[in-house]
Amino acid sequence: MSGTGVFLCSCFGEINRVIDVDSLQRKLEKNPSVVSSSVCESLCLAADVEKTASRIRESGLERVVIVGCSHLGRGGAVVDDLVKQGTKRSAIGLVDLREGCAWIHQDDPVKATEKAWDLIRMEIAALHYRTASDDVTVSVCPEAMVVGAGPAGLSAACTLARLGFKVHLVERGSNPGGMLNLISHVYPSDEKAPEKIKVFSDEAEKNPLIHFYPKAKINSITGFAGNFNVQVSSSAGGKRLRVGAVILASGARVWLPHGLYRYGKLKNVITQMELERQFIKGPREVKTAVFIQCVGARNHERPYCATMCCPSSLKNAVRIKEENAEARVFILHRDIMTPGGVLEAYYRNALSKGVQFIRFEETNPPEILGAEHVEGVEVFDSINGMKRKLDCELVVLSTPLIPNDDNVKLAGMLGLQVDRYGFFSEIYPLHPLETRMDGVFICGSARWPVSSDNAIVQGEGAAAKAAALLGTETVSALSLSRVPGEKLGHASVNAETCTGCGNCVAVCPFAACRLQKMGRKSISRVNKLRCKACGNCVSVCPNGTVQLPEHDYRAVAAMIKQAFDEEMVL
Amino acid sequence: MNDTNASPVLIIGGGVAGIGAALDIAYCGHAVHLVEKEDILGGQVARLDKLYPTDHCAFCPLWTDIKKLREHPLITVHTSTEVKELKREGGLLHAVMVRRAPVIDEGLCVFCGKCAGVCPEAAIETSGDHVYPPTYLVREEICNRCEKCVKECPTGAIDFQRREETSELMFDDVIWASGFAEVDLSPLPEFGLGKHPDIMTAMEFEDWTAEAGVNKGAIIKKSNSSVPRNIAFIQCAGARDQRLLSYCSAVCCMHALKQAQWAIRRNPAVQCVVFYTDLRTVGRDYYEYSLRDIDGSRVRLIRGRPSLIYPLPAREGIAVKFENTMTQKREIWKFDMVVLNGNIGSSLKEKDQEKNISPALSGDGFVNPEADEISRFSCGFSAEPADVAESVIQASSAAVRAILAKRKS
Repeated sequence: MSGTGVFLCSCFGEINRVIDVDSLQRKLEKNPSVVSSSVCESLCLAADVEKTASRIRESGLERVVIVGCSHLGRGGAVVDDLVKQGTKRSAIGLVDLREGCAWIHQDDPVKATEKAWDLIRMEIAALHYRTASDDVTVSVCPEAMVVGAGPAGLSAACTLARLGFKVHLVERGSNPGGMLNLISHVYPSDEKAPEKIKVFSDEAEKNPLIHFYPKAKINSITGFAGNFNVQVSSSAGGKRLRVGAVILASGARVWLPHGLYRYGKLKNVITQMELERQFIKGPREVKTAVFIQCVGARNHERPYCATMCCPSSLKNAVRIKEENAEARVFILHRDIMTPGGVLEAYYRNALSKGVQFIRFEETNPPEILGAEHVEGVEVFDSINGMKRKLDCELVVLSTPLIPNDDNVKLAGMLGLQVDRYGFFSEIYPLHPLETRMDGVFICGSARWPVSSDNAIVQGEGAAAKAAALLGTETVSALSLSRVPGEKLGHASVNAETCTGCGNCVAVCPFAACRLQKMGRKSISRVNKLRCKACGNCVSVCPNGTVQLPEHDYRAVAAMIKQAFDEEMVL
Repeated sequence: MNDTNASPVLIIGGGVAGIGAALDIAYCGHAVHLVEKEDILGGQVARLDKLYPTDHCAFCPLWTDIKKLREHPLITVHTSTEVKELKREGGLLHAVMVRRAPVIDEGLCVFCGKCAGVCPEAAIETSGDHVYPPTYLVREEICNRCEKCVKECPTGAIDFQRREETSELMFDDVIWASGFAEVDLSPLPEFGLGKHPDIMTAMEFEDWTAEAGVNKGAIIKKSNSSVPRNIAFIQCAGARDQRLLSYCSAVCCMHALKQAQWAIRRNPAVQCVVFYTDLRTVGRDYYEYSLRDIDGSRVRLIRGRPSLIYPLPAREGIAVKFENTMTQKREIWKFDMVVLNGNIGSSLKEKDQEKNISPALSGDGFVNPEADEISRFSCGFSAEPADVAESVIQASSAAVRAILAKRKS
């Protein structure tokens, strides 16, 4: 016996005190396409699921409609358990008669029962046309590519290598270290930056699992989680890599304040990074210095706080005071951004060392005095409401980090998004190191400006996420979401009817659809491992060639027909 | 890379950090046990209405992660459980854990709600609309043990005779992810907490106004259920204050901005003022969040730390005395509601150190990772004030550090 079986639950009276479940069952009995129907008090207890599963097996039912409570109630768990017992996910329909019908319509049992009958026959009709997406399983290449050898990338690469995975570390410069090569000390530990890199770069050099590609450029990335193909050209020539996971740690760059605060015109108006370079060369005795914060940040053009500028100024201001306790050092700021315990203590330390803080407003910025060289800074101190003139010989401008220009290109190759500034987007704040592409992870300032310490922590985190994928032998299109049944399927193309118009290619946010030559025409192909079953392609396909098998257009049409036709047509 | 035979890793705390760390360890092929003292997973984030800066609801991603956690074969979840003893024995951690007796068995509960319907004391409530698995919970402090619910339950899920269970397990290592707790503000009486029902802490305000909370998202006063004309959000209440918490609690500026913006969004007539010292909007899209216009009005920001907050006579509202440091004017403004933001700290207790169930703590109450062997791994508010995104990043890092330590040994 094959066909549809309907299992109705009365939920110990919760459903049938409003809805006439028995009358529904009598109607079902008369229906030729329903081969069995039954009512019981519960369907969700462990013994009930066993019973339902064995009845499905014994009667050889093709399709099953569970009529009970909502997916978020116990319905979802019943479906999951039946899938575990061997029923195909696409062959199970769930109708919510408790929360969505009995409970909300308890004052009108007649209409509630009518609605229940509509819902049931819509689901029976739809289920008839639902099929499962064919799955595809591929082996996972247990190697990773880390893009960028700054603190985030080095940390990610070393962590993955320590976990036993081969890592291809791709760097656009000639040496590892990234931004740490450009600074003297790191906050808040005040360690020397070269020492901070050395720990990692020594390990990267010694560990045979890490392959370093200096002066590298990524030409193309294709593929999907577990199997990415990358074309890299480096000083050693071109190379094709096959990797299972990609970690983007390509960092960011410093914005230069041309045209602001007479930068580029007066010799002693320098950026924070230029001061760092001077400190790398050796101690620099300064008698009076003024740091200006938020130069080119938290403004109309770049309405964001770049995180590291306040602590960097604190670090260098204290450094000047330590070289020369008599030095007068001012930090002109719009808010001192030192959240947490460690950074707040860092701020207090600067205060105790005698660094002076003056708050100004965005609308009333400081002015640099002097014709040929810096003579001073005039600032309206918004806290005591007075204009102050600070004599100084050095002005240090704190400028934000901005995204690298090639982020957009990399994102395009991988089907990722960048945010409005150009930093790589995460899927959502609860999963900040993951992207909408499985197998691609982000960390460090390529994601959002961070301190070197946080970049290292993020590198470890991204490595943990990548290791989870690299440690599995195979990956299948349907298993990528990790929750059985959560990802219902993926789009598929009917090669015979596809006209190759390319609409689907244009709207696919995951770069899963592409046109492929097939004989004389081009047809669309869907990469099942990249597809997230969003359905964009289905909605733009002019002739119904692309379908999500679990949400087939015939299923939707059948539901509409049931909802609005007088007679039940199956 | 499955070495399930080795001892599992113990994670203390079932909030976002603990859940994240547990999933990362399990996905890397190692067994892990997650201990949560409350009856449900999700920690403080389950109390949060919306998450900044996306303003998305916190429940859905949390629900998905908890479902993954519950279904993963390498993860054992112990809810309603507390660790009573923890000591190193021959390279392993020996833990004694006690699980409170569950009154309602979540495996048998069909979420029909009959028990709540018959309870004369309204002591039975759902575990939350978005908790996985959905079940009902008995609030034992209200319950009068009439046991009407026991007779009503169709599946026999309710039993008051169940006893607490003690289990002893050996672990490789422990990750502290016990999150934050509100710090008692009574040493700072100038904030007026407790002197008027409409002076509340930010977490109380969250519970009071959350869409899934008691008032279903309505912005009303506690004193008389009317709509407040204005709400003051007081930042650094207890934080960045040498008398109580010397550190910055890191999450409060954004939390206040979120609450103020949602108050306006839900009721455009409400005016919100945030009194701040430094508006710390450090993080992805946080600064932009502070600039947003909600229904034509913006949250008003005033730089100043109120010196005194006190109820006015004859239910006239609440007075907030402050100096606006940008205009140097000292003023007293009248508000209908006052929300205090800042008094949050690590939930780890110094006194637990004597009982050997706490890691080594710094003066501020955060884990000191260098001090001893059980304190090496921590994440989220156990380690340092951190918001959701920071906490889960730290959790992944702690997870991989624990895995590496495990493989070394």
